Amino acid sequence: LRRWATPKLAGYAGLSGAGLLSALVFARPELVALTAPFLLALAAGLTLATPPSVKVGVELDQNRALEGEEVDARIVLQSSTPVDRLELYLDLPDGIELREGKNPVALHLRAGERRVIELKLGAARWGGHVLGPTYVRARDPLGLLVWETTAETRPELRVYPHEDVLRRVLQPRETQVFTGNEVSRHKGEGIEFADIRRWSAGDPLKRVNWRASARRGDLWVNESHPERNTDVILFVDSFAEARRGDEGTLDLTVRATAALADAYVGRRDRVGLIAFGGILRWLVPGMGVVQLYRIVDALLDTQVVLSYYWKEIDVIPRRTLPPNALVIALSPLLDARSVGALLDLRARGYDLAVIDVSPVPFAPRPAGGIDAVAYDIWTLRRDALRHRLQSAGVAVAEWRDDTPLQAVLEEVREFRRYARHARV
Amino acid sequence: VTIPWAVLLVGGGYLLARESSTIVDGWAAVIGVLLLIAAELGSWSIDHDARIQAERSLVLRRIATLAALVAAALLVNFMLLATAGLSASPGVLLAAVGVAAAVAAVAVVLRLLRA
Repeated sequence: LRRWATPKLAGYAGLSGAGLLSALVFARPELVALTAPFLLALAAGLTLATPPSVKVGVELDQNRALEGEEVDARIVLQSSTPVDRLELYLDLPDGIELREGKNPVALHLRAGERRVIELKLGAARWGGHVLGPTYVRARDPLGLLVWETTAETRPELRVYPHEDVLRRVLQPRETQVFTGNEVSRHKGEGIEFADIRRWSAGDPLKRVNWRASARRGDLWVNESHPERNTDVILFVDSFAEARRGDEGTLDLTVRATAALADAYVGRRDRVGLIAFGGILRWLVPGMGVVQLYRIVDALLDTQVVLSYYWKEIDVIPRRTLPPNALVIALSPLLDARSVGALLDLRARGYDLAVIDVSPVPFAPRPAGGIDAVAYDIWTLRRDALRHRLQSAGVAVAEWRDDTPLQAVLEEVREFRRYARHARV
Repeated sequence: VTIPWAVLLVGGGYLLARESSTIVDGWAAVIGVLLLIAAELGSWSIDHDARIQAERSLVLRRIATLAALVAAALLVNFMLLATAGLSASPGVLLAAVGVAAAVAAVAVVLRLLRA
């Protein structure tokens, strides 16, 4: 608890001293009458001033919320001394906004009183938000002394990004050995019809294709494609972002990654995460809802951290990138390191698709002059970069905020359908 | 910082206006209290921050505190000038002692009430 005197205390004390001294010097009783009220205010204020003893706590109804949801918060005050004027301010981080309630607020507390201040907070942006600290300032009745302290109760609110529902996702070229929803290109035990072949010893009777056998005068059996799962690695480029106001490419990236993770986990695929940026984060591929929560939790901590360290793909642990995995990269393609890493991945034979989270809408074209020329060159260079990736056999689609993610995925699907493998 | 200077200037002006008079002015009690009110309202407006939403009771409480202070100051001032009016020459010293005594008494009473 830090105590300090307000300028009013010094001012009144000075006035009182000067007034009484002048009264003695000039022998004017009126001067004493002019001074006495200030002296009285000073004496009354200092006498009534009691150091406050207030406990402050901040509670949240829930520690997890979805973007756009509202969360009830309470500031709980417990005072053992009377506080004439108590000012409170709960510092809200970026991404959390006050929807209802008073913050900052000034109130009076009696001795032993417990007071709860209800606030309704809006989770405006995804992320792990730490609320607080709460700044507390108490004043005596006449405002001569001030006590200040900071309550260190800092609850965390984890805000999950809202996700698009994806009807169809990208299919990898290769499947893994475990059962899943993806129809494998290989033949084996499954539901999806693949071909017919001659019967051989050991083939079960239920696989005999009687119609084909009757036509050919010999036993023929059905072959099918097995349903397998796949390994999908979501590659988030967090080296740089383009931001304008409350929205940026990283926000779009995180939302899209969460939507993709949800869709692939729902297909019983193994999903992993690589956040490639100033801080490298990774999650080895895994299945199930727990893995989905792990991924989303890891995404919440993703942020753009400025780094000049030149990172290559070698820094990523090997088991994070299993062979035959589909790597879906979400990148604004702003940093040469991430572009280099993507080309490196492709050169190593990974099945790679890139969603170019376009920074162009976040950087409006200048009105004219040399700036406009520079802007045009920049956009042309971006086109050239996409073309370079496509030449390397990487499916690339540009994603702008006004386009649904599903449409971008379809664009990538189309490219992958008709594109041929390229040697780089 | 500006409030004490403003009060000092007004007090000085009043003193200059009363320079030629040898009679103790009874209105000084009221003027002193008016100066206090002006200073209090001035510091209230400086303290006021529109971003801080104060409870209504807090405003009423501050008004009540100010009213009580003004009443007490008025009472003290009238007593003081009445005392000074009884004897003119040693009045100043006596008045100063009287003010100190009155203020100390009020402080003791307030402290007792607070306890």
